[in-house]
Amino acid sequence: MMKNESHNHDFPEDFGSVDRRSFLRLAGFTFAGVALAGCEQTRIDKAIPYLIKPEEITPGKASWYASTCRGCPAGCGILVKNREGRPIKIEGNPDNPVSRGGVCAIGQAMVLGVYDSMRLTGPVMNGSPSTWENADRAVAETLQNLASKGSAVRILTGSLNGPTEKFVMDGFLRRFANAKHIVWNALSQSAILDAHRQTHGTRALPRYRFDKADVIVSFDADFLGTWISPVEFTRGYTERRSLKGTPPTCSYHVQVESRLSLTGAKADKRIVIAPAERLALLQELHSALTGKRAGPEMARLAKRLQEARGRSLVVCGSNDLHSQLLVNAINQTLGNYGATIDLESPSYQHQSDDRAMHDLMEEMKEGKVGALFVAGVNPVADLPNGAAFAVLMKDIPLVVSFADHVDETAACATMICPDHHFLESWSDAEPVDGVVTVNQPVIAPLGNTRSLMESLAMWSGRQKNALQLMQEAWFRSVFPRRKAGVGFQEFWDRAVHDGFVNVRGQGNPVTRFNPPAVRTSVARPGIDGFTAVLYPKVTMLDGRHAQNAWLHEIPDPVTKITWDNYAILSPATAEKIGVMSGDVVRLTLPDGSATLELPAWIQPGQHESVIAVALGYGRKGTERFAAIGPKWLQGRPSTGPNGLVGVNASALLQFENGAVKYERNGIKIEKTGRRSDLACTQTYHSVDSPPLLAGEQRHRRPLVQLASLEEFAKDPSAGSHPKPESRSLWPEEHRYDGYHWGMVIDLNACTGCAACVVSCQAENNIPVVGKDEVLRNREMHWLRIDRYFIENEGTTDVVHQPMLCHHCDNAPCETVCPVQATVHSSEGLNQQVYNRCVGTRYCANNCPYKIRRFNWFDYPRDNEKENMVLNPDVTVRSRGVMEKCSFCVQRIQEARIEAKRRGTTIRDDELKTACEQSCPAQAIVFGDLNNPETRVSMFAKDPRQYQILAELEVRPTVSYMTVVKNRPDAKEQDNV
Amino acid sequence: MSDHTSILRSPLILGNKSYSDVTEDVALPLDRSPGKEWWMAFAVSSSMLFLGLAAVTYQVLTGIGTWGLNNTVGWAFDITNFVFWIGIGHAGTLISAILFLFRQKWRTSVNRSAEAMTIFAVICAGIFPIIHMGRPWLAFWVVPYPNLRGPLWVNFRSPLVWDMFAIGTYFTISLVFWFVGLIPDLATLRDRTTSTIKKKLYGWFSLGWDGSNRTWLRYETVYLLLAGLATPLVVSVHTIVSWDFATSVIPGWHTTIFPPYFVAGAVFSGFAMVLTLMIIARKVLRFEEYITLHHIESMAKVIIATGGMVALAYLTELFVAMYSGNEYERFAFVNRMFGPYAWAYWIMVSCNVLSPQLLWFKKIRTNVTLVFLLSLAINVGMWFERFVIITISLTRDYLPASWDVYAPSLIEIATLIGSFGLFLTLFLLFTRLLPMIAIGEVKGVLSYGRTKAHESAQERRKAVVLQENVPGGVA
Repeated sequence: MMKNESHNHDFPEDFGSVDRRSFLRLAGFTFAGVALAGCEQTRIDKAIPYLIKPEEITPGKASWYASTCRGCPAGCGILVKNREGRPIKIEGNPDNPVSRGGVCAIGQAMVLGVYDSMRLTGPVMNGSPSTWENADRAVAETLQNLASKGSAVRILTGSLNGPTEKFVMDGFLRRFANAKHIVWNALSQSAILDAHRQTHGTRALPRYRFDKADVIVSFDADFLGTWISPVEFTRGYTERRSLKGTPPTCSYHVQVESRLSLTGAKADKRIVIAPAERLALLQELHSALTGKRAGPEMARLAKRLQEARGRSLVVCGSNDLHSQLLVNAINQTLGNYGATIDLESPSYQHQSDDRAMHDLMEEMKEGKVGALFVAGVNPVADLPNGAAFAVLMKDIPLVVSFADHVDETAACATMICPDHHFLESWSDAEPVDGVVTVNQPVIAPLGNTRSLMESLAMWSGRQKNALQLMQEAWFRSVFPRRKAGVGFQEFWDRAVHDGFVNVRGQGNPVTRFNPPAVRTSVARPGIDGFTAVLYPKVTMLDGRHAQNAWLHEIPDPVTKITWDNYAILSPATAEKIGVMSGDVVRLTLPDGSATLELPAWIQPGQHESVIAVALGYGRKGTERFAAIGPKWLQGRPSTGPNGLVGVNASALLQFENGAVKYERNGIKIEKTGRRSDLACTQTYHSVDSPPLLAGEQRHRRPLVQLASLEEFAKDPSAGSHPKPESRSLWPEEHRYDGYHWGMVIDLNACTGCAACVVSCQAENNIPVVGKDEVLRNREMHWLRIDRYFIENEGTTDVVHQPMLCHHCDNAPCETVCPVQATVHSSEGLNQQVYNRCVGTRYCANNCPYKIRRFNWFDYPRDNEKENMVLNPDVTVRSRGVMEKCSFCVQRIQEARIEAKRRGTTIRDDELKTACEQSCPAQAIVFGDLNNPETRVSMFAKDPRQYQILAELEVRPTVSYMTVVKNRPDAKEQDNV
Repeated sequence: MSDHTSILRSPLILGNKSYSDVTEDVALPLDRSPGKEWWMAFAVSSSMLFLGLAAVTYQVLTGIGTWGLNNTVGWAFDITNFVFWIGIGHAGTLISAILFLFRQKWRTSVNRSAEAMTIFAVICAGIFPIIHMGRPWLAFWVVPYPNLRGPLWVNFRSPLVWDMFAIGTYFTISLVFWFVGLIPDLATLRDRTTSTIKKKLYGWFSLGWDGSNRTWLRYETVYLLLAGLATPLVVSVHTIVSWDFATSVIPGWHTTIFPPYFVAGAVFSGFAMVLTLMIIARKVLRFEEYITLHHIESMAKVIIATGGMVALAYLTELFVAMYSGNEYERFAFVNRMFGPYAWAYWIMVSCNVLSPQLLWFKKIRTNVTLVFLLSLAINVGMWFERFVIITISLTRDYLPASWDVYAPSLIEIATLIGSFGLFLTLFLLFTRLLPMIAIGEVKGVLSYGRTKAHESAQERRKAVVLQENVPGGVA
């Protein structure tokens, strides 16, 4: 447990009047700061030491707390790094049995959210700030009235799976005769649960075990990017493709999808279909598996699946019940239940019930609802008819929102009782059956907010704080499920320390498989107009974090676009309707009831009939980003013509048979004649020279090595580009007697999920520059992910290549700096000395990898609250200096000090760079190249290892590993 | 007066000038109040200068972000302008030093203003490496001086440090050379002027010149030595500037041909600029008899020669790129010719390779208007040459994912305009404050191409009187 007092003592008492500069100076009061003390004496006088030092805080030393990420319902295990009482970094908890050390981009960015200065700081009643006493009184009075009248009380939340949450919720609901808890997620998986109710007698979301699947067929499920639990799935998936052993382990992954997703980018084979064809294909696959007639493609797929009975996995991301029923039947036929699909200990990550949501709206229409409590969801923004929902809300006597910002729904509520940020509060989760995770506060609440559980308990007449509630709930429902006989205190302490506890599962009674009544023949429907596919972005999901600038600025892993959503068209379609990327198009529903205007983006790998639009944009509150970047003569806002970031596409959604449909047929598209530039970080997307310039012999730049599994099994160095021999006439310039730091990135594992990008941003105080600056290609990310489309005999492979400073042994940047601001360390680091830099940018010009970043402006750091997220170990750079990846030199120093204290050398496992630590795929390995025992040295000896641009004799210490695609039959590759 | 000319040599100075005519003609613009034309030119150029000043002030206060640069293209207008201006300067040194050593007597009419142009161009050039820095207030860090930071030394392997030395030396020598050349003329002005202030100033700067034989002897020696010192600079400065690119690893920059290529280009562009300025000045200041068609033609011939070298360099570069088998190099050049900036490449080729070919025709190179237009075209072309080399090479280098485009911002355009404003303003002030033509030197070549026997007695007598009395007479 952590009681945070330091937060109040950390800063001088007149914190409010401290200007930005002195804040940064104070924040930088570390060993670096000490060195500068001579020049900064007057300022440093203000750093007041603790009068009574909190026991657990040592200035300059980080404390780590295990917790649970609540950035999305997946509930990954995290470790939160605290410095002087401030959480400054989120990392994966390697011990967590579900996420196993990974965190996604969103999880990484959550630490910025806690310092969000626009977060509500206290309860709001009827649009004006109020006190908790008033709020509680008002709620109590209204509830009293309602209880006497017997009106319906409804609580609408996202997936809540924590034992305490359930305990408190049940206690609250019990008070009313007619009360119901409705679970709904904007990105609903309702159909999966409904399908299992029909086929297995239990409305549950099974736990998919990608770590056990050798043949994976995914129909539109972006399981590496956005589907259910991407971190967990990524880890399992990459383990199954590790290429270890003989024959090499490598699953076979077929992605059947209508738009190019992150998961599709990794697939061994992509089959591009129109959404309307999905059901027919599933039908065909089912037929093929049950020995009936099927087309050659599905027959081939069925054969592969059957060969891997019990080791195969078919998943479907559609919210269409029929599709899911067929998927269940297919998996049942393949014997995957109990093997790769665990329904007995299911996942609780998504429990959305679209029908309940639908029923709620019906009730609201009938005026039956007396009180509505909304937590963690934003139906006004996310429902297809959100505006109607907002109108209905007006008629409800009491609408309480727990939102932390005034979102679309909260704006219509009678009262907002803001919940804590999850880093400020106690709570728990049970993402999968038998794993209960703890969410502990790592900072005292920054505002006068109150935890959802405390509010509900208060209104149930039990005035207890969240910790008490949690312990009570655990004593009742978690402690009895313990595996080992320990006392409660020990059990509790262990759980809080570890961040999770393994307990006996709740058990999920599954009935015998009940074959679904699936329509036997599905004609492929004719496609009229276009089909809009509404999808979540890896960085934005349903838009719940639309207030997070870091997430807006991450380039989308597939399109590489920041700060916007857009209508993705296939190249053929774009040509047909005469649209170029950036042309604003108007999408109109078949009945003309809604239109959407947004810029077009042309993207290969998408079906011609599909227009894909990301959800989660156009959120209320994103007006704040209008002025996020540097202000200057030609600066432009990061927001669009609507004053918001992107446009809300939920109007294209549809409730059909009580389920939200994310595909809408019959969409009309037309040009508006306007243009809107999209801030894409890449202008060219191939490793081949542009066709117009290259003539007949297109030069393929040897940046990515690709091999098929067959070739790889025969020769582990298959696909290698010829390695250039070293031709230097000069003696070795640098000797590395101690450590020699290096990194290997396994491109075969890397999915391009961008977790490393945000991790680096959080660790290294990288500023957000805004859309206009990204448009000018001045994004500041030290680590970028290059995405290439590689065309080979009809197939298009997508390869993600993380690109960061290569810390070359013969660094071209070092020789050209006139003032020695970039120098080589005795351990192989290419070090940038900010103080010395005068900003000629010669180093950046001469960097063949173009990874250097220049401070074009003084990026705004005026927000004192948001500045608290800064890592005090890393200098905040001023304008006019160059910066770049430092291999997390502050972490190396920390490890070195610790090793020195022990009197040993740095162990391989105690030092991880920020990007390496957070990688869900474990694709990045950093360490000492001089020590043959380290993982990085092992990787460096691997036949798959290669360097790029090594022919320049720059001797990079970052290298990559060949991508191996499981392609048994080259002739199969004709469908992309 | 009839035109008495030698059969073998045509006179360098027309109009049968006497020594006193020369003094009068050259000093005249300094005495009379400037005409409307000068004021209009000055108004335009100083407005340009102030626009540039405002732009640079804004940029220094706000950040380099006010330029159109990006993560891929770290240099564009800034270094293009720098190399362009340095190149312009070269003609001055070539004319004053190399042509002096080669006893090219026609240089005397243009050397003073060409040298002034050199100095002003180097000033314009020198501004860019300073303002292009992210923290220009720390620009002195590129100078190796004993300091209290360790002492922290500069990186002698960096071409930017070499640049600092090269340009510093170049500017110093050019300034000294120019000033030494001015001394006899300053003395002439001192002796002519009636204003006490002017007399004091000219007197101070003419360093007590007395026109004695001993003074002349020492002066000549110093001038010769300085010419010898300045000569290698013609080659060295642009060679070193070209190393900024040649020593890098970027395709399109990393080219061993750069030093001779850059030097030829510099002389080429410098002569074009001298022509541009001289053609205006001889017209406005009525120096047609001093800066004659012969001068213009001579300079046009230098342009043909250096233009040929530049064309050869372009071709060699292309050939080597294709022949080298280096795909990155090959692509860099194909991209120059046919990529997104192909227009810039073809402007460069048409201005620098095609347009000078017209000067082969005597009719064209003796047509002042045409030569003027061609000189402008070459100035434009040479600016684009630097843009093509610097910017296009950067936009598309090794990793296609980091390829990008560049477009200048308003501030950058204003800064370029401002640099022209500074150059023209300084030049206009120069025409008002100092003798634009080297009086002493011109007098030395006055008799060139004249046959003494045919000179009228009156003229001869006048000359003798002047020789005896006027400092700065025949050396």
